[in-house]
Amino acid sequence: MEDQIRDTAVKLLKDGSVGMIIGYEAGTLPLRASPCVITNAEQTDRLVWNMSCGSNLATYLPSVAKANPDQKIGILAKGCDSRSILGLIKERQIERDGIYVIGMPCSGILDRRKIESDLNGAEILEAHIDGDKLTLSTSEHPASSIQYPVSSIIHSSCSTCQHRTPVLYDVLIEDSSGNPNALSAPDASPYEQVEAMESQSADERWEYFMSEMSKCIRCYACRGACPFCYCTQCFVDQNQPQWFGKTTELSDIAIFHLVRAFHVAGRCVSCGACARACPMGVDLMYLTRKIEKDLDELYGYVAGLDVEELAPFATFRKDDPQEFITEPD
Amino acid sequence: MEEKIISKSEIGTLLDKLKEAHSIIAPVHRNGELSFDRIDSADEVVLEYSNTRKAPKSVFFPQQEVMFAYSKTESGTQVREPDLEEDVLLFGVRPCDVRSFLLLDKVFGSDDYEDVYYLRRRENSGIIGLACNNPRQTCFCTTVGSGPFNHDGMDLLLVDLGDKYLAEAVTERGEGMIDNFSDASDADKQKRNDIRENAEKGIKPVVVDLEGLKDKLDGMFDADVWDEFHTKCLGCATCTYLCPTCHCFDIYEEEETNNSGYRLRMWDSCALSLFTLHTSGHNPRTSTKERTRQRIMHKFNYFVHNYDDFACVGCGRCVQNCPVNLDIRDVLSTIAHL
Amino acid sequence: METTPSGTAIDTAVNPYLPIPTTITNITMETAARDIKTFKLGFRNESDAEKFDYTCGQFAEISIFGAGECPIGIASSPMDKGSLQFTVKKAGHVTKAFHSCEEGMEVFVRGPYGNGFPMRDLEGSNIVVIGGGFAFTTLRSLTKFILHPENRDRFGKLTVIYGARSPGDLIYKYDLSDWEGRDDIDLYVTVDKGDETWTGREGFVPTVTQEVGPSSEDAYTIVCGPPIMIKFTIPVLTELGFQPDRIINSLEMRMKCGIGKCGRCNIGDKFVCKDGPVFTYEQLMNMPQEY
Repeated sequence: MEDQIRDTAVKLLKDGSVGMIIGYEAGTLPLRASPCVITNAEQTDRLVWNMSCGSNLATYLPSVAKANPDQKIGILAKGCDSRSILGLIKERQIERDGIYVIGMPCSGILDRRKIESDLNGAEILEAHIDGDKLTLSTSEHPASSIQYPVSSIIHSSCSTCQHRTPVLYDVLIEDSSGNPNALSAPDASPYEQVEAMESQSADERWEYFMSEMSKCIRCYACRGACPFCYCTQCFVDQNQPQWFGKTTELSDIAIFHLVRAFHVAGRCVSCGACARACPMGVDLMYLTRKIEKDLDELYGYVAGLDVEELAPFATFRKDDPQEFITEPD
Repeated sequence: MEEKIISKSEIGTLLDKLKEAHSIIAPVHRNGELSFDRIDSADEVVLEYSNTRKAPKSVFFPQQEVMFAYSKTESGTQVREPDLEEDVLLFGVRPCDVRSFLLLDKVFGSDDYEDVYYLRRRENSGIIGLACNNPRQTCFCTTVGSGPFNHDGMDLLLVDLGDKYLAEAVTERGEGMIDNFSDASDADKQKRNDIRENAEKGIKPVVVDLEGLKDKLDGMFDADVWDEFHTKCLGCATCTYLCPTCHCFDIYEEEETNNSGYRLRMWDSCALSLFTLHTSGHNPRTSTKERTRQRIMHKFNYFVHNYDDFACVGCGRCVQNCPVNLDIRDVLSTIAHL
Repeated sequence: METTPSGTAIDTAVNPYLPIPTTITNITMETAARDIKTFKLGFRNESDAEKFDYTCGQFAEISIFGAGECPIGIASSPMDKGSLQFTVKKAGHVTKAFHSCEEGMEVFVRGPYGNGFPMRDLEGSNIVVIGGGFAFTTLRSLTKFILHPENRDRFGKLTVIYGARSPGDLIYKYDLSDWEGRDDIDLYVTVDKGDETWTGREGFVPTVTQEVGPSSEDAYTIVCGPPIMIKFTIPVLTELGFQPDRIINSLEMRMKCGIGKCGRCNIGDKFVCKDGPVFTYEQLMNMPQEY
C-alpha cells in the first residue's frame, strides 16, 4: 500500500492536481509515525503507511487551507479521518473541491500505550509487524523478541470501528493485505465499551471518571489532535468572562473535559486521535463514546456520513425523545 | 568526599532515618503512573526505573500555586502569603533532572528579582540522586553539558552496583547522611567506574557542536528552516509541561467570595496561541512556526545569551511524549548541518 | 542571609510579587468616548511612597483584586511625590474592572518596573517628543519632568508633537493648554481629523513631524505610538538626520510577572519588562522582528 501511496502522490504533485500532500512519515522511535507535509514529487519517498499512523490528519486541514488559499491540498485519510473531513466540509471549515482525499482502508491502529504498559517501563528498541503479529525487542530483552498478536493490541477506538473504508475520497488505495476480514466491520457491537460503562452504577462511573481526570496535565494535546477543535479562541482561553479555571484542580480538569465532550458531540467520530495524543493516557473517549451512542439511539444520527444531513443540534423532530430531561433517573 | 556502600536492604533504613527530619519525595506508583510524590513508607519507593513521565520540577515550581490570599476588610485589603517552610528531601532523582534545578535557579534566583516561592522551596530541600546505568534511546544529556553519572546539585549520588549501592557524597550534608555506612572498597569503586563508562558510551550523541549552535542560531531568526517542521505541531503544551527546564507561567486570580480570593500562578506554555496575545488582539506569534521557533531559540540561544547554558538537560521527555513525534534532536541536527 | 544550593543569596523577606496598597484620590475622564481615564493614586503607607522611586518611562503592575493585574505606564512625573498617576484604556478584563472603580477605593500596585527612558543620555540634549494617541502617557511623564523648574535647565530645546485620531481622543488636554502658553516648550498638537469646534492643526503625526522639521543636532527623539505611526515617522526622522541610537521607542507586550521570570514578553533574549520597554531604534533593528 505504501508504494501505491507514493506513486499516487508523485502523480498528483507532478501533474499539479495538488500543491501539497498531508500524510505520514516514519517516526524517530519504534512504533511511531509522524504527520508530514510534502510539497514536491522528490519528497514522496518519505510517505509511509503502517499501524502507527494514528494522527487524524484532518486536524491540519482548516489551518493549512487558510494558509494556502490558492492551492488544492492532498490528504491521506483513514476511514475515521474521512468522516472527520466530511464533518469539516459540513461545518464549512474547508471546501470539498479544495482538497484531494487519498482514501486509506484501515484495519486498525496500534495502542502503543497498552504495549508500553505491558512492558512495564522497558524501552522498545525495535518493532515490526508481519501479517498479524507484532514482534518487539526491548531494553530488557534486547536480543530476544516479544510477540503480540496484532488483534490484542489494536486501539480501542478501532476495535469497534464500523467504517474501515473511507466514506469520502478522490482515490482509494487498494488494500493488498489479502486478508479478507481486514476491512469488514467487526462482529462486536459498535458501542461495546459504552454498554460496559452503562452497566456500572453512578458511583462507579464517577469514581472511574475522576480517577482518569486526575491524570490530566491540561496540555490540550487532545484539543490539538481533534479535527473539530478549530475554534480561534477555545472556551478555556476566554477570560471575559472566565468560564472555567485552567488549573489541575480536579474540578477544573473535569469541567474542561465535560464541556469539550459536549462541544464535539455530533461531530466526534471516535477516531481515537485524542486518546493516542494524550501523554498521560487519560481515557478520553469515555464520555465521547457515550454521547455518540446516545445521538445514534435517541436521534438516529451518526457523525461524518452524510454531508447534507443537518447536524443533530441544528435541527429537531417533534417526537424527539426527551425523557432524559423530563424524567432523569 | 566520602564514598560508602549501602546494601539494597539498607536503603529502607536510610529512608526511615531521613524521614524523621524531612518529607521525602521519591519515584512512586500513583494511579498507574510512576511519578515523584511524598512517601508514607520506604517500601513505596521505586528505584528500578528509567525516568518519570513528569519532571520533578513541580517540587519547587508546582503546576499551580497560591502566591497570596487577599481579603478586603474595613481597614483595607489584607494580603497573606502561604507557608513555604516544609523541609523536603528529593530521593532517587536522575542527574538530568537535578541539573534542571540548577538551570531554574538561574531564572528564579537571578540577581535583580528573587522568586521567593521557588527559592524558599529550594533552600529547604536536599537531593539524593540516582545515577543512570542504562540511559534510554531518547537520552542526550551528554550533548547538553550533563551526563548519566553527573552529581552537580546533589547532596549524595547513589550508584546501583547490582546487589548494593555505592553512595558518593557531594556535599557535607550528603556526608552526614551516610555517616554510619561502611566505606566503599576499591573493587566497588572500580565497578562504579566501569558502569559509568558503559553508560556514557550508551548515549546516542546528537550531532551538535555546543558552542557553534548558539552562534549559528544568532543569525537564524529569519531562516527558512523554521518553515519545515512546524506544521505537524499541534500547538499543545506537552513538551513544555513535561520539560524539566521550562519555567513559563501565568498569573491569575480566583475569587472565593466578593471580598476574598487568591492570586495564583500556574504553568503556561509558549506553544499555546494565547501566550503572547495582546488585549488589542495583536499577536506577535501568530502560528506554530513562530512558536516552535521560539521554543528552540529560547532553549538554545536566548537562554545561553542570558545565563550561559542551554535550557535543556537532554532527558528526552519531549521526544518520547510529543503526540506527533516532533523530535527536537532532529531539529537540532538539521540546524547543525545547515 | 540564606542561600540556595547553588549559592544564590536570597533575602526571602522581599517578595517581588506582593503589591502595595494605594487609594484612588482622583479620577479624570480623558476622552469623549469615555474609554480612557487617568487615576491618581495615593500610597496608604508613607514608607511605600518613599521606596517607590521611579524614572520616566517605567511602568507598574496594577492589581484589582478579583480581576487580576495589568502593566500600565506611569503617567505622573517623578517630581510629584507621594502619589502616582496611571492613564488606563478600558480594553480587557482587568482594565474594565479598574474603570469601574471609584474615588476612595483601594487599588494595589507593584513596581516600578522596566528600564525607563535613558535620562542621563537625555540630559544636556535637545529633546523631541513625538506621541500618538493613547501611547502618550509616559511621554507626558517625561515632558512634565523636563519642564519642572528643578530640571528644565539641564535639558536643551524641548519640542513636543502629539496627535490623536480626533479632538475627543486627545488626552491630557489640561496639560496641553498649560504647555501652549509656555516659552520653554514648542508644542504642536494635531488630529487626524478635526470636528466643527476644532481650530487647531489637522494631519497625521508623521506628516506634522515633517512639517515641523525638528533639528536633529544634539538631539534625542522619543517616539511612542501605534505601530503604523512609528512605521511612517521613522523615515521622516531619519531624513531629518536622527541616527538610530538617538531614536527612542517604548514597546508594548503581553506581560504578567513584570520581572523577567514568566517568560512571555521576550523579543529574542531581551525581556520587554526588564530590558525594556524602552529601546533605541538601533537596538530594535538588531532584535528579532517579533513584536
